[in-house]
Amino acid sequence: MGRQLIYVIAAICTTMTVILLLILTAEPVANAGGAAHPVFSGMRIGGDGLARLETIGSLGYAFQALLLSLIVAFATLGVSERHRTPRLRAYMIATLVFSLFILWRMVASHLNFIATGETSYFMGFPAATAWAMYGVWLGGIPLVFIYTLGFRQFIYTDEDQAEFERLVAESVAEERDTENSPEDTR
Amino acid sequence: MEAYRQEIILAAVALYMVFCVITGLWAMRRTTDASDFFVAGRGLGPIVISLALFSSTLSGFGFVGGPGLVYSIGVSSFWMITISTAGYALGFFMVSKRIRMIAELRNCISLPDVLAARYGSEAVRLLVAITIVLGVMGYLATQILAMAVVMQAILSGTAMFADISLVACVAISSAVLIFYCVTGGIIASVYTDVVQGGIMMIAGVLILLTAMSVFEGGMTEATSIILKDDSEAIMPWGSAGIMASLGWFFVFGLGLAGQPHLVTKMMMNRKISDNRHIFPLSILGYVLAALLWVSIGIIMRATVIDGVIPPLTLPDDAASVFLSVFTSPLLAGIVFAGLFAAIMSTSDAFLNIGTAAIIHDIPKAIRGKSINNELLWARIVTVILAIVAALFALYSYYADATLVALLGAFGWATFAASLFPVVALGLNWKGATVPGAVTAIVSALIINFGVQLTGIALPYGVSGGLLSFVVSLFLFVNVSLLTKPPSLDSDIDRAMDI
Repeated sequence: MGRQLIYVIAAICTTMTVILLLILTAEPVANAGGAAHPVFSGMRIGGDGLARLETIGSLGYAFQALLLSLIVAFATLGVSERHRTPRLRAYMIATLVFSLFILWRMVASHLNFIATGETSYFMGFPAATAWAMYGVWLGGIPLVFIYTLGFRQFIYTDEDQAEFERLVAESVAEERDTENSPEDTR
Repeated sequence: MEAYRQEIILAAVALYMVFCVITGLWAMRRTTDASDFFVAGRGLGPIVISLALFSSTLSGFGFVGGPGLVYSIGVSSFWMITISTAGYALGFFMVSKRIRMIAELRNCISLPDVLAARYGSEAVRLLVAITIVLGVMGYLATQILAMAVVMQAILSGTAMFADISLVACVAISSAVLIFYCVTGGIIASVYTDVVQGGIMMIAGVLILLTAMSVFEGGMTEATSIILKDDSEAIMPWGSAGIMASLGWFFVFGLGLAGQPHLVTKMMMNRKISDNRHIFPLSILGYVLAALLWVSIGIIMRATVIDGVIPPLTLPDDAASVFLSVFTSPLLAGIVFAGLFAAIMSTSDAFLNIGTAAIIHDIPKAIRGKSINNELLWARIVTVILAIVAALFALYSYYADATLVALLGAFGWATFAASLFPVVALGLNWKGATVPGAVTAIVSALIINFGVQLTGIALPYGVSGGLLSFVVSLFLFVNVSLLTKPPSLDSDIDRAMDI
């Protein structure tokens, strides 16, 4: 996953652009973005969940799955090419799988609620919302671990630090040479 | 204690403002040159940076607009919060290390400085600097107005200041902001951010505990009340629907790494290795502070539906009504101080990067060098910028809100769409080109301005911000792939390999 990564990113970005265009040109559904609450001004309601998702639901889910993939691809791009080891790739793929699992559970719980009208609750929220609220947030946690625990392995190794210090020293020396050059002293 | 509610709130806010003034005076002695003024001499520790980073992320919007959004459209706005882990992750994976490296190698004091070094292009510097100045004007004006409106609400509740005008409140709040920003520059700004961040975290936790005690059945009872009224409001996509929610998820998640006031703070740490501590600490702070957003919004929607309290006049009243009905005066005082902290911590960051763009980057891009005596000019321009923004805020309030609304579009979404590709991808991909960067910035500005000016409502709740961000990313990557890769300066090339 060296130089090809940018082509993966280009492909994801292009697909997301196409999906967004498909959504923008899809048959409009009434109140897809919500409607005024019949009783309380200032509040909006979502109304019929199934109708809102019927036309563009799958496109929306695909968009979100691609977005999660893009996040992992970007995080991988942020790691220096020489540190993109098989181990890092495995961690990144596991992060993506974890995020996609959470997305699947959230969507499945929501569709199940729409079909049955029943839901369990977890830590104050209906199951589907709990997956969105806690699950999606937790989906990014593996990246925190990869960064903090793998800092000296993937992000900024001792060799990286030495190389950067060398670079700074060279830069300072070069600056000093320029300042002391005969042209300047004249 | 209840009889002195307004006085207690006023005392908490006044105490906080006095602290800001003292910090400004203390920081003045540590500010000796432009590098100190703009990037704190790149000498800040991990706790200071992490608190400054998250408190600047969560502006007054998080304390006022956030709960109002949950009251109005249910769960939809949660997506701005749940993406925070991934958002900060991208900021740290993609930006924090390289921006700090280039800043040290080239002695950069601003984001346009870093980008000019990376792309070897003064055009990129100029475009980014202009984008920052326009965005800063919009952001600052709205923040100053928000500060003044809240201050007027607090002061008018006391006998002594019952008739205080909005102009007076704009003057008082701007004066405090200007004072500590002018005297202490970014050093004062980040050290006030530390206290601001602390207040915001404490406020978030205390408000959550209070919110959970409003209904006997806690948060579960509140969400079931909302579910019975309109199930979609409390389901994952909320009332605003799937694309509005995903728009926020996208723009707030990826966009964090494109916010100039945040990534500039990533240039200020003492050591690159501190990043591994700064990252988790920032997330922790953000999550604790955001508890206020979630809990007030849910409880206010449920209590209104349940008939516990009358409907709100405006959704943005959610936080202030919650504080007056459900909290003790002391907690209300802490939260109001937290609100000022949130607004000021964002405002001072914008004031700082706006000043840098005006006195350092724009002159450098046009005439090849920055102005003489940058520190003096930084102080003068900070005052002018804040005064212009304050006048702008008053003009929009009393005469015509269009211009501020238009520049308000230069909020998070525009910075995200125009700067994320250029900053985050540009610092990690040597193939990123100047045409790619210019196309991305220009397309993002045109789409955001276009949608705002024409008032087009895109279907399915798709926002102009989402559209511009997706298009800008697409163009940046593909135009860069189609154009000739630049030859990078040797030091930048080597830094990008590390």
